[in-house]
Amino acid sequence: MDTTSVVEIGRPSVPRETVWRSLRGHLKGTEYTWALAFVVPYVAVFLTFVAYPVVYGLWMGSEAGLYRELFDDPIYQKTVVNTVLYLAFGVNVKMFLALLLSGFFMRPGWWMKALLLIFVLPWAVPQISTFISIHWMLNGEWGFLNNVLYTLFHVEGPHWLNDRWTALAAVIVSHIWKWTPFWTLILLAGRMAIPLDIRDTAKVDGATGLRGFVHITFPLLANLYLICTLLSTIFLLGDFNAVYFVSGGGPANTTHVLATLGIRNAFEIAQPRLGVAAVMSALPLVIPLVIVLMRKLRTAEVQL
Amino acid sequence: MVHLTRRSMLRGSLALAAAKTVGVPYVARAAATTATVWFAQGFVQDEDVALRKAVADYEKQSGNKIELSIIPFAPERQKIISALTSGVVPDMVDSNPGEILQLYGWQDRWVDVSDVVETQKSQFSETALLAAQAYNNVTKKRATYGVPLRAAVVPCHIWKSLVKKAGMKIEDIPKTWDAYFDFFKKVQDNLRKQGERKVYGLGFQVTANGVDPYNLFMAFLVAHGGQDIVTKDGKLHLDDPKVKEAAIKSAAYLGGAYRDGYVPPSAINWNDADDNNAFHAKLMVMDVDGTLSTEVAIKEKHPEWYYDEIVTHGAPGYPNDNAGKPIPSIVGYTNGLIPKGAKNVTVAKEFLKYFIQPKVIGEFVELGLGRWLPVMPSLAKSPFWQNPKDPHLKGYVQQGLLGPTRPDYYVFNLAMAEVRSQHVWSMAMIDVAKEGVKAEAAIEKAFKRIGEIFAKYPMA
Repeated sequence: MDTTSVVEIGRPSVPRETVWRSLRGHLKGTEYTWALAFVVPYVAVFLTFVAYPVVYGLWMGSEAGLYRELFDDPIYQKTVVNTVLYLAFGVNVKMFLALLLSGFFMRPGWWMKALLLIFVLPWAVPQISTFISIHWMLNGEWGFLNNVLYTLFHVEGPHWLNDRWTALAAVIVSHIWKWTPFWTLILLAGRMAIPLDIRDTAKVDGATGLRGFVHITFPLLANLYLICTLLSTIFLLGDFNAVYFVSGGGPANTTHVLATLGIRNAFEIAQPRLGVAAVMSALPLVIPLVIVLMRKLRTAEVQL
Repeated sequence: MVHLTRRSMLRGSLALAAAKTVGVPYVARAAATTATVWFAQGFVQDEDVALRKAVADYEKQSGNKIELSIIPFAPERQKIISALTSGVVPDMVDSNPGEILQLYGWQDRWVDVSDVVETQKSQFSETALLAAQAYNNVTKKRATYGVPLRAAVVPCHIWKSLVKKAGMKIEDIPKTWDAYFDFFKKVQDNLRKQGERKVYGLGFQVTANGVDPYNLFMAFLVAHGGQDIVTKDGKLHLDDPKVKEAAIKSAAYLGGAYRDGYVPPSAINWNDADDNNAFHAKLMVMDVDGTLSTEVAIKEKHPEWYYDEIVTHGAPGYPNDNAGKPIPSIVGYTNGLIPKGAKNVTVAKEFLKYFIQPKVIGEFVELGLGRWLPVMPSLAKSPFWQNPKDPHLKGYVQQGLLGPTRPDYYVFNLAMAEVRSQHVWSMAMIDVAKEGVKAEAAIEKAFKRIGEIFAKYPMA
């Protein structure tokens, strides 16, 4: 018996039907047209403003020669070290402070709410003007900080922004000052979401104070804390403002991070591809972070 | 209820397509008389007012429309680079930064505007005509891609009142280069003796930001005899002993002044506007900084500073070299550029032809308070520039237009633009100023880097 002919007859019609059905789902008649009409603008916007820029960026930074030039640049080597330090201290010190402060702001009382309002101000005010203010405050000759030191103690303060390490420290501290309130609010919301009966039961069992934090609060907040840390790391990798406006990448280009170096290469040196390559060189770190973040967001366990 | 069907969608699409065939020629006809122009925002509002007036006068006279965008300096630079990278370009831009003419001329990205320049060729200074050219690495030829609009040099701005306070006279400033700057070290010493804790003699931009440090170093290099570092044929001459000696002397003087405490410590982190601010705050007695922005910025608010307390160059005018010979000043130009791919080259060219008429362009720089210099020597003789009551304009126009001038070196070889943007000279100054490196070693390192950069730009 020749079965080939049966298969050949059936083959063209079955997949086409299946594909058509899977595309249409359970939609019938004009429903399908309406569905298309709603989806097409979103897809168009997504392709134009998300997919195209990403693909264009990848294309711009796709030449291997760019990375050779970048890795040979002594400024890039310092920039990588700065970026790692910025991430390590900027993210972890900030998140740890936010964790502690979120506990502090759980205390009852109207004055605590008033204090919280003042505390969130650094986050609420515009970034650029505050970072420029910090830049002026740290000016060695006539900045506020050194003038206070001189007026009170007759001490000539250091030129904070003239040394790589003090300038980088100023950038990191500025970032922590700016963003700690935001993450404190997030963790505070997380703490407030812990059901009261869990806390009350723990108290009955003697888990108060530090024990309560170690055995009840932190385990319940751990997932949120990790997600916040991952998000903050991704945000910080692309952070431009703190470095650009506090230290300006100086002195002598020693405090750049990848985001500011990218802009410098693209627009000051007028080599846009080299600028894109500088930013793209962070991808080996960004992609695993995003993957871990996505996995954490899919966690099915009962965690806050 | 009206149902959207496949047929109705098809009908709608056809209707749209039909409307387009009618509508597009109308848009195209409208675009034929409209040109998009980008220009950098002025340091003072008067500059923008002057530009708007020139544009409005052109529109009135020609019937064409100019869509003018006045954009702050740094964002405009980013917009231009982004536009040239993406290929979606305006019809005309100003050269911001100056070297962008040569940078993208190398890549064959500008329209040849020699026909525009030709209309006023006899009026332009020779230096302006030279600086409007760029080497095209595609055609392997030099061509005129820029239309000179305005110019600037690097003058010396001095607080006369601080010199006086130090018990010295502005008339006593020596005429030769090193002695000229040494004078301000003495001013600082005297002020310190009087208890002035935070006044410095010299506002040198010993920094790796912006364009000021390159301009400063190049002024010193030329003053010390290193003017042949790049010749007109685009060749680099680092092996010329005169060039090497001039570079070492320049790094030693500039870095040494910082190291010895005659330059504000924060100068190591200055950007282009910071020295202006520091000068206005009387942090230093003198500043070497491009254009008259320092003076015009305070003219309206503090006319007493402008007329009585600040002076440009001082009594001797721009100093001579150490042997007493006049030094050519390096002039930077703002050129009008038309990117290839511009939709309306005709109107852009017409506008530029109108703009460079001596009367129009002369008025443009004068209404801008004289921050920028004219590009035509005949315009320097106007009552505005020769006003005897003004302590700045006459010396400035003498230095940048009537005296000996030369274009920047990136005009001859694009590699010099990268030397500038990579801050190679800055690193040499900072090595001497902060790291305790000897000037010879700092220049050796800088020359090595410059050689590497020039190797990237071979010229036929």
